[in-house]
Amino acid sequence: MTKLREVLRKALVPTLAVVTALLFGAIVIILTDFEHLSQIGTDPLGAIGGAIGGVINGYGAMLEGAFGDPARIATALQSGTERDIATAIRPITETLVATTPLIFTGLAVAISFRAGMFNIGADGQLMLGALGATITAILLAGQAHPIVILIVALVVGTLSGGVWGFIPGFLKARTGAHEVITTIMLNYIAALVVFFALRSPTIRAAGSTSPVSKNLTPITDVPNIINLPAIRLDYGFVVALLMAVAVSFLLFRTTKGFELRAAGFNMTAARYAGMSAGGSMMLAMALSGALAGMAGSFMVLGTVGQLSLDLSGGIGFNAIALALLASLRPSGVVLAALLFGALTTGGKTMGIQSGIPFDLLFFIMALVIMFVAAPGLIRSIWRVKVAKPAPEVASITPVAPSESA
Amino acid sequence: MTTTPGAPGEPAAPPPDAEVATGEGLAARRALRNARIRGVAFVGFAVLAFYYASRSFDISAAFSFWIDEQGGESAVLQTPVGVLWVVAGLASGLVGVLQLLRGATFRWRPWLLLLIAPWIAAILAELLAGKPANLTGMISGSLELATPIALAALAGILSERSGMLNIALEGKMLIGALSASIASSVTWIVTANVLAATVVGVMVAMLTGGLTGLLLAWLGIRHRVDQIIAGTVINIGAVGITNFIFLRILSRSTELNTPRTVEAMLIPFLSDIPVLGPLLFSARPYVYVGYILVAVLAYMLFRTRWGLRLRASGEKPAAAGTVGINVIRIRYQALFLAGLISGLAGSYLALATAGKFEMEMTAGKGFIGLAAMIFGAWHPVGAFFAALVFGFADTTQTLLSILGVQVPPQLLSSVPYVVTIIVVAGVVGRVRGPAAAGQPYEQG
Repeated sequence: MTKLREVLRKALVPTLAVVTALLFGAIVIILTDFEHLSQIGTDPLGAIGGAIGGVINGYGAMLEGAFGDPARIATALQSGTERDIATAIRPITETLVATTPLIFTGLAVAISFRAGMFNIGADGQLMLGALGATITAILLAGQAHPIVILIVALVVGTLSGGVWGFIPGFLKARTGAHEVITTIMLNYIAALVVFFALRSPTIRAAGSTSPVSKNLTPITDVPNIINLPAIRLDYGFVVALLMAVAVSFLLFRTTKGFELRAAGFNMTAARYAGMSAGGSMMLAMALSGALAGMAGSFMVLGTVGQLSLDLSGGIGFNAIALALLASLRPSGVVLAALLFGALTTGGKTMGIQSGIPFDLLFFIMALVIMFVAAPGLIRSIWRVKVAKPAPEVASITPVAPSESA
Repeated sequence: MTTTPGAPGEPAAPPPDAEVATGEGLAARRALRNARIRGVAFVGFAVLAFYYASRSFDISAAFSFWIDEQGGESAVLQTPVGVLWVVAGLASGLVGVLQLLRGATFRWRPWLLLLIAPWIAAILAELLAGKPANLTGMISGSLELATPIALAALAGILSERSGMLNIALEGKMLIGALSASIASSVTWIVTANVLAATVVGVMVAMLTGGLTGLLLAWLGIRHRVDQIIAGTVINIGAVGITNFIFLRILSRSTELNTPRTVEAMLIPFLSDIPVLGPLLFSARPYVYVGYILVAVLAYMLFRTRWGLRLRASGEKPAAAGTVGINVIRIRYQALFLAGLISGLAGSYLALATAGKFEMEMTAGKGFIGLAAMIFGAWHPVGAFFAALVFGFADTTQTLLSILGVQVPPQLLSSVPYVVTIIVVAGVVGRVRGPAAAGQPYEQG
């Protein structure tokens, strides 16, 4: 019983954070619902009711977009036509499709944060990973078995992301350059590199005016888990879960992982104990970038099928929210990624169906991070007893290496 | 923000270059070795310049300056490109020789600033390949583009000097831009007075920026949220809420997003100075505000008691607290002021540059402002010149793409970002930031 209580208590702050953030989001929706609010003079109750109805409509659309309608799923399974089943379960599968890159990037951010490095560059690392995979696939097209092309492209993509993550790690270790600035700058540079690459006729889709790459699905494709029309869920999801296990193993059961975490807790003590702090920084950032690159590779080789400028869609920042929400634990990352995947997929439906712009979710996510990082706020709002933030999260203050490093 | 040694428990801060260089021991030898490498690098650049010179004596570069007013008569400076390269080469060679002779005590950074001008002139001329370029337009354009970056840098300086890491500049500018546009449009609709609309727009922008600054301070001080996380939260939240408002409200009610644009303002007497007048004194009022703020802030930081207290709070808050300085209150003040300035910068983007609010229109300028701050060694004047360099890079890119020079636009667009990384990595020299930046202060 106490175990359950422990788990519940740990989950209290994140859950309340999400709930409170959604509440704030609802308030914003109501406050900007001018159509209804303009009727407040003539018909106050109706106006407020209409505004609240707008919120319920929006959030309801979000739920349905994320998980689908249970009744529909049941009837589809009974009737048994592929079409029906596919349409009914598509929301859930789409949520899982959205969850996959979030798991990868959430793990990426969590690893880097654990080592005391703020990796804000997951976007850029993802894009470069995707670019590496795309170029490899296009260059190898038709010259080898698709599975071979797939594996090689995945490896190249992962390595590309790793290199892009290594650069800020290296700069921080050798020159003390603050990784927040370098990773953000590399994000912009990565976008420009991809833009530049997409100008090349080899890579660009034939006859297209917008910067998109050729469609990679004919060349190679990550195998799907469920073979139904229009269902995109593929084994990238499985690999993501495996990566969570791998990262957990690395961090908590290997010496290297211990060094990484030690560097994050107290750089000076770690160095005193003989661990190479600079090496830990570089390794953490490289692994981080590699995970993000893997995300991009799987997206471009599997679920999305082609490279375009908006592939990452600001996922790097979501990943930060994720990692913090999960207290930097890989298991938590998977759960939080599921939540965010649901929010994202649902948010798109919300945008389409109820006209509430998807960007509200960025605002909500920012609030989530804020509430998780400052539990005192939750305490004052809800009058609950909350523990102090976990030490891993609170002690993420970047410590610069001293001269003798 | 680059190197923050000196915190309790950390090894002591490295002494400045000059001290180290004259001493004995490992540090001195390393400084000497670095100095020699620098010297060789300078000489290497000189050789490169002479090589380019030998290839380009036949091409002639034409730089024109406006004399009395923008768009009026112009004076043209014509020289073979080779001459420019020779000048750059001679300058680099000189600096290289001086560096090698004087060793580690040589103050090379001011000389580097001197070198930048001939090199840029030469590279520009080379890229232009004979097409004429109006330098007045370029430099005044740089000033205009540099202004929001400079303002952001000033905001950053205020925050960091007080001990608070402020990476939320981007978010504050964005919120400022949105508020400025809406406020100005609304005022215009109500009063049809351009001046009122602009003033209200700016005021509202500054207010929202200031409030956001207070939010950052509150999160970092009261709730001990890590300042980087708090800053990132504000940035993400700002993007989300501004995009949301833009899509939800402004795209439907476009009259709320049509502020009066701010026009260029000629300073009565100074703008008549030949060449310099159209260059420096015929810009939009924001640029003048920029000049004034740089001067005011430099004065406030270094010549007033308040500034001293602020800097103390950033360097050794524990000592400052012992002497009776209210570190917490100073940090709140600093972040509020920083927010005001960031809001001002945002309003510039909306009212002057684009003429309305566009989604994510800050495009990293807040972070480039942070780089300018580091480049300028946390000093207002230094940051201003650093911002000028960034502004110039931006202008050059526009100019070259207008002239159809065969350089991929992405390459040029990436220059500000690459330069930022180079600066932050300390290739241009490592500078020491306020020692206590980023550490929460425990009062009592």
